[in-house]
Amino acid sequence: MREKTLALLLLSLGLLLGAAFLGALWEEEAAVVDFTRKNLPPCREFLFGTDWLGRDMLKRTAAGLSLSIRLGLLTAFAGAVIALALGMAAALLGAWADRLVAGLTDLIMGIPHMLLLILISYAAGKGAAGVAAGIALTHWPPLARLLRAEAAQIRTSPYVKISEKLGKSPVWIAREHLLPQLLPQFLTGLVMMFPHAILHEASVTFLGFGLPAETPAIGVILSESMSYLMTGKWWLAVLPGIALVVAVLLFEALGQCLLRLTDPKGAHA
Amino acid sequence: MGEERKGRRNRRTFCGRRAAAPAACLLFLAALAGCGGNGSDETGTGGGPAQEKAAGAGKEASVVVVMPPASEPDAGFDPAYGWGAGEHVHEPLIQSTLTVTKEDLTIGYDLATQMEVSEDGMEWTVTIRDDAYFSDGEPLTAADVAFTYNMLRETSAVSDFTMLKEARAEDEQTVVFEMERPFSIWPYTMAVTGIVPEHAYGPDYGEHPIGSGRYLLCQWDRGQQIILEANPDYYGEAPRMKRVTILFMEEDAAFAAVRAGQADVAYTASGYADQAPAGYGLLACETVDNRGFNLPAVLRTEGENGRPIGNDFTADVRVRRAISLALDRERMIAYVLNGYGSPASSVCDGLPWYREGTEAVFDPQEADRLLTEAGWEPGADGIRVKDGVRAQLEFLYPAGDSDRQALAAETANQLREMGIETSIRGTGWDTAYEEAQAQPLLWGWGSQTPMELYNLYHTRPDTGLALYSPYASETVDRYMDEALASSDLEESYELWQLAQWDGTAGVSAQGDCPWVWLVNVEHLYWVRDGLQVAGQKIHPHGHGWSLISNVDQWAWER
Repeated sequence: MREKTLALLLLSLGLLLGAAFLGALWEEEAAVVDFTRKNLPPCREFLFGTDWLGRDMLKRTAAGLSLSIRLGLLTAFAGAVIALALGMAAALLGAWADRLVAGLTDLIMGIPHMLLLILISYAAGKGAAGVAAGIALTHWPPLARLLRAEAAQIRTSPYVKISEKLGKSPVWIAREHLLPQLLPQFLTGLVMMFPHAILHEASVTFLGFGLPAETPAIGVILSESMSYLMTGKWWLAVLPGIALVVAVLLFEALGQCLLRLTDPKGAHA
Repeated sequence: MGEERKGRRNRRTFCGRRAAAPAACLLFLAALAGCGGNGSDETGTGGGPAQEKAAGAGKEASVVVVMPPASEPDAGFDPAYGWGAGEHVHEPLIQSTLTVTKEDLTIGYDLATQMEVSEDGMEWTVTIRDDAYFSDGEPLTAADVAFTYNMLRETSAVSDFTMLKEARAEDEQTVVFEMERPFSIWPYTMAVTGIVPEHAYGPDYGEHPIGSGRYLLCQWDRGQQIILEANPDYYGEAPRMKRVTILFMEEDAAFAAVRAGQADVAYTASGYADQAPAGYGLLACETVDNRGFNLPAVLRTEGENGRPIGNDFTADVRVRRAISLALDRERMIAYVLNGYGSPASSVCDGLPWYREGTEAVFDPQEADRLLTEAGWEPGADGIRVKDGVRAQLEFLYPAGDSDRQALAAETANQLREMGIETSIRGTGWDTAYEEAQAQPLLWGWGSQTPMELYNLYHTRPDTGLALYSPYASETVDRYMDEALASSDLEESYELWQLAQWDGTAGVSAQGDCPWVWLVNVEHLYWVRDGLQVAGQKIHPHGHGWSLISNVDQWAWER
């Protein structure tokens, strides 16, 4: 069982890293415009077809996924770190900090996700920086809530109480007692945040508030394809769309595997 | 109302953009809603379902036209806020104008019966016809004309009326324009200035226009449709099309409407031209709707607000000429526009003030020679280098305009073959104007007045440079100043031509070449078989209202 999970984990990790690597490698080729091969349906030479500028859609899709994965890594990590910091602060800094974190979490969760994302992205000047800021600042609440509860529970355990009686500082307790126990939750949360980050990056770009039009991003590809669906160029939307879904599912699988491997409570399930 | 209607009546599902769904239910509105206003609960806003269409009787005299959403006049039908004037110039239809542009773009008369200009060009006297009435029954007099022009001079947000000092009604039928400075092409301004009634003009005029033109505004559902009805009291030939319904849709929704047979005329783009919806033909209209890019003609400096002005590479006239010579426009048209366009040589191809003999040519050898002469020699990787500086250009295009993006990409590809390192970047209009001061941007121009030349190439008094892209030439300025000061319109055409090329200088491709013109984009429309669209003038920039400038002369074949 453990071997199977580990194999699945490595497989999805390998596929995602492969896509990220290939895409980065193809980034320049993906932008090459060649009108002699425009609007080709999928064929042996161009597996995903070409668009109205004659760009190779397979390379463009790979470059888009690669960009999404890299952006996802950055934003998911930033989001997870925010969640971890807030979760531990809530547990250690007393009742007022707890209330503040809980309130902030509720506040952010109460605002429709997409709306907040667009607002932050727009305020931060759109582009890659805007999208990154938007996703990093909107995706932490569910994980923060989870970590806060977990940390609060650990905090009531006898050895933490003893540490407190011995005069250890909250920072020491956080480092020695909380962090090691929160790590599995943190890692899983981090990976689970990926699919959201990628999907939201694509959505906000699709709506025109994200990455600029000439970047090979999945959101750009999909929004461009809308104008060509009417004339039957299905491959522009369908294949990159499937690629996005597959990437998201792989991340999901990766997260599940990681959870199974690291969570002590689930080890015998 | 639209949503409810959709649920009840529209069983078709349209895929496409957000606009598609409301647009689709609109089609039903268009087909059903009439102007008679027999108060049916179906439409709620006063229009009743007109059975004519279904019965086939009304088809003879009505037409449904689809235009892009951008064609809808935001501020309504008020000439002060862009109706007929401004960026997308067209005949105002609802209002009359003093003059009109004829099919060859020379000047004819509408309200005017006679027009004179004083020797020094400072006073225009126009006599108007006495049988024109506003749609509320009041006669249109010289006082209304004077009021319109004085009002526009004060308030127009889109047009330049600074050359006008005062308009004055001499008597009922005579109006005198006193000018601040000579302006020989005043008749072209008069051709797009709709006359409004002095007695009924107010802040809500845009929504409830009263005019003396061929059509009356019968219904306007913002964001959806405009219905025009023939003006029964029109002084000229009675319009043959009695009702014109204009719908606003995105490209894909417009095509869907054609496929469903719900529109008689719909705009389309070259990407759709290979489709062949049954019962429709493709109409390609010749235009001066050109696409081209600017080449900053001065060395790079810091502007007032720290933004760069000028470009060291394109400041050399030989480089600018070489760039124009290096471009194969026919290939560009075949690649990007699927053949629906013509090579552009100027901003005014085919118009009376275009200088014959300045056609842009494709000559890569000469381009290579000029670049080499200017000191740009190919380096190790094929990119030209001069004093250690690489030949580099970044082309901007308005993000979201797929045609201009493709033109920019093809231009970049062709120039790369010439040894120039090129790239493209999409930008928004909020920053594009400033960025274009230092690098090329893909623009679209084209207007039915020579003023376009002045706006693009004449220097500004404050900066000493042209407005949209830094360039200055005393010779060109002088020709254009003389053209405006000329008392004879025909004569002034010649001066406008000299500004383009006088044998030694000018703004054309063999001259200073501060702008490189690529293509005139043909305006494409699906037209239902049997509909006779009357002869079209060369269309200006803007893929909308210009087609229906003569909708009154359209007819259905019996």
